[in-house]
Amino acid sequence: MIGNFEVESSQKLTPENLEPERESFIHGLWINQKARYGIIVFAIFIGIGVIGHFYTPYNPHFDLFKSYLPPSYAHLLGTDYDGHDVLSQFLYGTGVSLYVGAAVALIAVFIGTLVGLISGYYGGFVDNALMRFVDILLILPTFPLLVILSTYLKPTITSTILILGILSWPFMSRVIRSQTLTIRERPFIKAAILSGMTGYRIVFREVFKFVLPLIIINTIYIFVGAIVAQAGLAFFGLGDLSSINWGTMLFYAENQDAVLYAAWWWILPPGIAIAVLGIAANILGTGITEVYGGRAGST
Amino acid sequence: MITSRYIARRTIYAIITAFVAIIINFLLPRIIPGNPAAVILFANYHYLPVGKVKLLESEFGLQGSLLYQFERYMIELFHGNLGISFSNYPATVTQLIESHLPWTLYLLGVSTLISSVLGVFLGRLIGWRAGSKSESAVSSIFIGLTSLPYFWLAIIFLLLFAFDIPIFPLGGTYSIGAVPGFSLTYLENIVDHSLLPIITIVLTTAPAFALTMRSTMINQNKEDYLLMAKAKGIPQRIIEKQYAAKNAILPVTTHIVLAFGYIVAGAFFVEVVFSYQGIGYLLYTAVTSYDYPVVDGVFLMITITVIIANFIADLLYAYLDPRIELR
Repeated sequence: MIGNFEVESSQKLTPENLEPERESFIHGLWINQKARYGIIVFAIFIGIGVIGHFYTPYNPHFDLFKSYLPPSYAHLLGTDYDGHDVLSQFLYGTGVSLYVGAAVALIAVFIGTLVGLISGYYGGFVDNALMRFVDILLILPTFPLLVILSTYLKPTITSTILILGILSWPFMSRVIRSQTLTIRERPFIKAAILSGMTGYRIVFREVFKFVLPLIIINTIYIFVGAIVAQAGLAFFGLGDLSSINWGTMLFYAENQDAVLYAAWWWILPPGIAIAVLGIAANILGTGITEVYGGRAGST
Repeated sequence: MITSRYIARRTIYAIITAFVAIIINFLLPRIIPGNPAAVILFANYHYLPVGKVKLLESEFGLQGSLLYQFERYMIELFHGNLGISFSNYPATVTQLIESHLPWTLYLLGVSTLISSVLGVFLGRLIGWRAGSKSESAVSSIFIGLTSLPYFWLAIIFLLLFAFDIPIFPLGGTYSIGAVPGFSLTYLENIVDHSLLPIITIVLTTAPAFALTMRSTMINQNKEDYLLMAKAKGIPQRIIEKQYAAKNAILPVTTHIVLAFGYIVAGAFFVEVVFSYQGIGYLLYTAVTSYDYPVVDGVFLMITITVIIANFIADLLYAYLDPRIELR
C-alpha cells in the first residue's frame, strides 16, 4: 500500500510542480478521513488543555473536600485520596502533559531534523560519524536511561523535558536522513546545485519541503511518546511529583491504593486520555502517510 | 550473507555501546552538583557526620583523581562487584540482582513467549485478509491495545479481577505464608500470582507482534512467487501457511529476539503495579529510597542485556535473510 503512494507522490513532485500550494497541506489532510479524525481528537485535547489552564471548577492544588467521593453533580469525576476534585486535576493536568509533549517535540524535532538533513545531504564522513552516534543512542534502552538520569538530576518538569528531548530524536533523524538521501538524487536538486545555490539554501528550502510530511508525522509520534514517557516516569516516582499531570495522577492513584477504594473515577481519566491520544496519533500518522506518501515510522 | 567482517563490525558497535553505558554509569554520580556521599547520607538520615561522609566516599570509590577512580571502578566491575546497597545493607547489589532476576525471567519470559507465538499467528491471519472489513476492525483494536499505557491497564485489571471480582490475588510474588520449595502447592501459588500480570503483558504486547507480522505478510502478497503459486492452483490455505507466512516471519524473528532481550528492561511497570519481586520492582524500590548503587547496577545490567540482544538480533537477521544489505 505504501509503495503505491510513493509512486503517486513522486509523480506529484515533478520540477514543474515545485512551488507548494499554500492551503493544500491542511486541505489535503482534511479530505483524508483518518487524518481528519486524528486532527479532531488532537484539537479536542488541546482545547481541554487550554481551558484547563485558565478555568477549572475548583482549584486543582488547594481546594480540599472529603476524600474518595464518588462522582456526583458537585464533583463530576469525584475526589481523590486527599479530597482534590479529580475533574479539576484532569483539566489542569491535561495542559501540563500536553505542554511537556510539545516542548519535548520541539527540542527533539529540531535536533532530529537538523541531524537527518545534514547527514543525508552531505554524506561522507559527517554522515558516518553522526549515524554511528545515532546507532549507539538507538541501542541504549531508553527507559532505564531515563530512570537513571531522572534519579540524579533534580526532578522538575523542565529537567524531564530536557532529558526526554535529548533522548527522543535519534530514530527520527534516521528516517529524515534516508528520505533526504533519495531526494538528493532527484534532478531538480542537481539543477539547483548547478545553478549555484548554496548547500545551506538547498537543504533548508528545497529538501526541507519534501521531508516536511515526514517531520510532521515524527513530531506527532514524539509528542505522544513524550507524554507517555513522562507519565511513565512520574508513575515511577521520578519527576516533579508536586506538578499535576496525567502521570502524577496515576502515581498517586497507585501509591494511595486507589484500587483498594475502587476509585475508578480517579484511575480511568488519565489512562483513557493517554490511550485515546495514542490511537489518534496512529490514525493521523497513517492518514498523513496515505496523503503524502513517504516512509513513516512509529517510534 | 554473514561475513566475518560484519561480525567484527557488530562486535565493535556492541563494545562501544557497552562502554558508553559504563561511562554514563561512572560519570553520573560524579558530575551531580554537591558531594554524592553527602547527598545520599542526607537523603537517608537527614544529618551529616563528617566521618560517615569520608567512609562512604571511600566505599564508593569517590576519592582520588577521576582517572584513578575510573581505573578502580573498572577493576571492581570486571570482578562483578557493583557495590553495596544502602537500604538492604549489607547485601551487595549483585546479590540483590541475583535474587530478583529469576522472577523477572519467569514472568516476562513466559509472557513474551505467549505473546510472540500468539502475535505471529494472529498477524498471519489478519495480514492474509488485509483490506477486508473484519481485518480493519481487528487491526484498529490492535492499534488501540498497543496505545494503552500498560501500567494503567494493570491497575484496571487489578481493580476488576482482584478487587471487584476476586479471582486473582492482589499482587505479590507468592502468598506471605507460602513455604518456598518444590511442592505442588507452592508452584500453584506462584502460577496463581503470575497469571494476571502475564495476561496484562500479553494483551498489550501480542498486538505489536501481530501488526508487524501483518505488514510483512502484506509485503509478501506483492511478490511474484506468490502469484506463481496462485497460478499453479495451490490452495489458498497452503499458500498462506507454507509460502507467505514462512517468508513473512523472517523480519518478525528479529523483533522477537529483541523482545526477549528487552525482557529485563520492560519489566518495570507491571512488577510495580503487581508488587512482583523482580528486577523492575527492585529498581522501583531503589529509586524511591535513593539507593543509588542499586539503581546504577540494575541500569548497567539491563543495558548490557539489551546490547547483547541487539547484537544477536543483527547477526540472526543477516543469517536468516541473506539478501539484506550489510553495513
